[in-house]
Amino acid sequence: MINLDFLNPVEDNNGLETEVNKEYLENLNVPTFDIPLCNNPIEFLKHQTEAAEKCRLSIVHGTTTLAFKFKHGVIVCVDSRATAGSYIASQTVKKVIEINPYLLGTMAGGAADCSYWERELGRRCRLYELRNKERISVAAASKLLCNMVYSYKGMGLSMGTMICGWDKKGPGLYYVDNDGTRLEGDLFSVGSGSTFAYGILDSGFKYDMTPEEAYDLGQRAIYHATFRDAASGGIVSCYHVKQDGWTLISRTNVKDLHYKYAEQPKAPLV
Amino acid sequence: MEYNGGAVVAMVGKDCVAIASDKRFGLQLLTLATDFEKIYKMTDKCYIGLAGLATDVQTLSQELKLKVDLYKLREEREITPKKFAHLVSSTLYDHRWGPYFCEPCIAGLDSDNKPFICSTDLIGCINFAKDFVVCGTTARELYGICESFWEPDLGPEELFEVISQSLLNAFDRDSQSGWGAVVHIITPDKIITRHLKTRQD
Amino acid sequence: MISEPIPTAQPARQMANRFDPYEDNGGTTMALAGEDFCIVAADTRQSDGYHINCRYAPKAHQLSDKTVIGTSGFYADGICLVKRIKQRMEWYYHQHDKVMSTPALAQLLSVMLYQKRFFPYYCFTILGGLDEEGKGCVFDYDSVGNVERVKYQAEGSGKELLQPFLDSQIGLKNRATDDVLDLTEEKAIKIVKDAFSSVTERDIHTGDCVEIYIIRKDGIECEKYPLKRD
Repeated sequence: MINLDFLNPVEDNNGLETEVNKEYLENLNVPTFDIPLCNNPIEFLKHQTEAAEKCRLSIVHGTTTLAFKFKHGVIVCVDSRATAGSYIASQTVKKVIEINPYLLGTMAGGAADCSYWERELGRRCRLYELRNKERISVAAASKLLCNMVYSYKGMGLSMGTMICGWDKKGPGLYYVDNDGTRLEGDLFSVGSGSTFAYGILDSGFKYDMTPEEAYDLGQRAIYHATFRDAASGGIVSCYHVKQDGWTLISRTNVKDLHYKYAEQPKAPLV
Repeated sequence: MEYNGGAVVAMVGKDCVAIASDKRFGLQLLTLATDFEKIYKMTDKCYIGLAGLATDVQTLSQELKLKVDLYKLREEREITPKKFAHLVSSTLYDHRWGPYFCEPCIAGLDSDNKPFICSTDLIGCINFAKDFVVCGTTARELYGICESFWEPDLGPEELFEVISQSLLNAFDRDSQSGWGAVVHIITPDKIITRHLKTRQD
Repeated sequence: MISEPIPTAQPARQMANRFDPYEDNGGTTMALAGEDFCIVAADTRQSDGYHINCRYAPKAHQLSDKTVIGTSGFYADGICLVKRIKQRMEWYYHQHDKVMSTPALAQLLSVMLYQKRFFPYYCFTILGGLDEEGKGCVFDYDSVGNVERVKYQAEGSGKELLQPFLDSQIGLKNRATDDVLDLTEEKAIKIVKDAFSSVTERDIHTGDCVEIYIIRKDGIECEKYPLKRD
């Protein structure tokens, strides 16, 4: 019998792992990771990332990201700063990962962890599409990611992400993090500047905003977070997920936003 | 030093000196205020910039001002920047085993209007420099860029340009400082103070 | 004032048993991308704390006639990584009968670094070269494989000293006028030399010599520029 389900080639061999299959699994299906040959690899890595360590592995961190559902879809806004310690490693990080034309993932926590696993998620979503002849739902995609990182729980991965998209059920928004938490919701903000962003979002959010109002709200929330949070800054990127996929709305430098908002009259305190 | 953040730099020019600082006052990642200038006027021609723990910056600046004023009352003359540097050094060394957590940069013109700058560490070891001194969380960034930008015998306006560009580009790579900057140029006949328009993130 | 005794160091016994596979050999690397060229530069000092192991230990390596890699941090991890990349490139060449392009290599390198997520290479990598369209490209990595395509980047022990200078001279940050940067090869090389001379003044892990690889569409040239040896 011809086995079309090429991801499970082991079945035909009465469960025997042939050389080909083994290599195949190693190369294509399951990512493998090297582990140091010592008693407690997890403790080793934890120690090595501590601030006092001589040979410190400073993994790029720090962020403000947000996403919310409203009448016209999902808005995703992020900053673009990456810090390693107090040094700003980059001001131009792409923190929205374009998984496919219908799915967006955001990046908070370890940059490498987020981009690697969301790329892997993209690959699995594509395979799902090929097998099932239909697009994966946002719920299923976020669960795939959640299950992947859950199997590495406690090993030091650092990821706080929002999976945003549009499927048969309409707009979808899920929060997934490295503990294996997966939450559905209407409004999330993740990262060191998230509390500031929540402050702006909660006070300005209305379900039936126009898209323009929503873009402005998202941008403002990120801007205020970059102002107060030292680990956020750079460029504010804004995406809008609609029924026919996502579009990039704007990329604006925080410096321009600051002086634009400074010129506008402030709302009176109520 | 990393608790409140901050950047201070001082440079020598031709018959003038410049001292500049950022304006952030923060608690680790949180920015609380953006009008915290870390430079204090000691005499008409001598300024001190203090980077480090904000509570110690305030206490030390007040203690130094007191000592400078008492010196003036007792001696009936202004303290010279060099004497002031030694005053700072011994004040800091008084607290050898429980130091003030701040690093001073001193810039001034002496009685012959000769430029003087120096910095000390947190227990008062003086570093007399002929070109520039830096301190704060942005020290490494400042060292790199000042080393490239600084050259001898800059006039007041050129010096302003060099110190501003150095400070701006340096603290844009440090998350703990920024949010505005102030520059003082001390020349024999006047003090030029300018506030810079900077990124606010 | 003198009241408290100086706190004694942690018992050495606690530290001795720990698995401690890393060492910091310092070194600074940088890369910048021009319109039709790319420059990768790295100093050649190898140090261990205050000690200089070697004055000529190259940190930049040519991978193909379109790509050069620069690594700093733990020297052994760096050369091991380069060896493994070269092996993967060889396999790729035999499988596909073509030399790997720089962007493809950039992605491979990211995955290779992430494969060691739980036992990272202690090295900071920059990849520079020409992309498929012949444009200069620079890819910057952290130690676990986060990759970003940039115009210019400094890495290693002197990155804090070097990067603001590049921001100013190549990124044209904090300029009031709308200057347009016309980055010619000569200008770029001059910036690189100036930058390394400055870093050498203040960073003890950087010095001796800088190797500047200039990648053009008709080949790679390596220029050696002496730095202070103190």
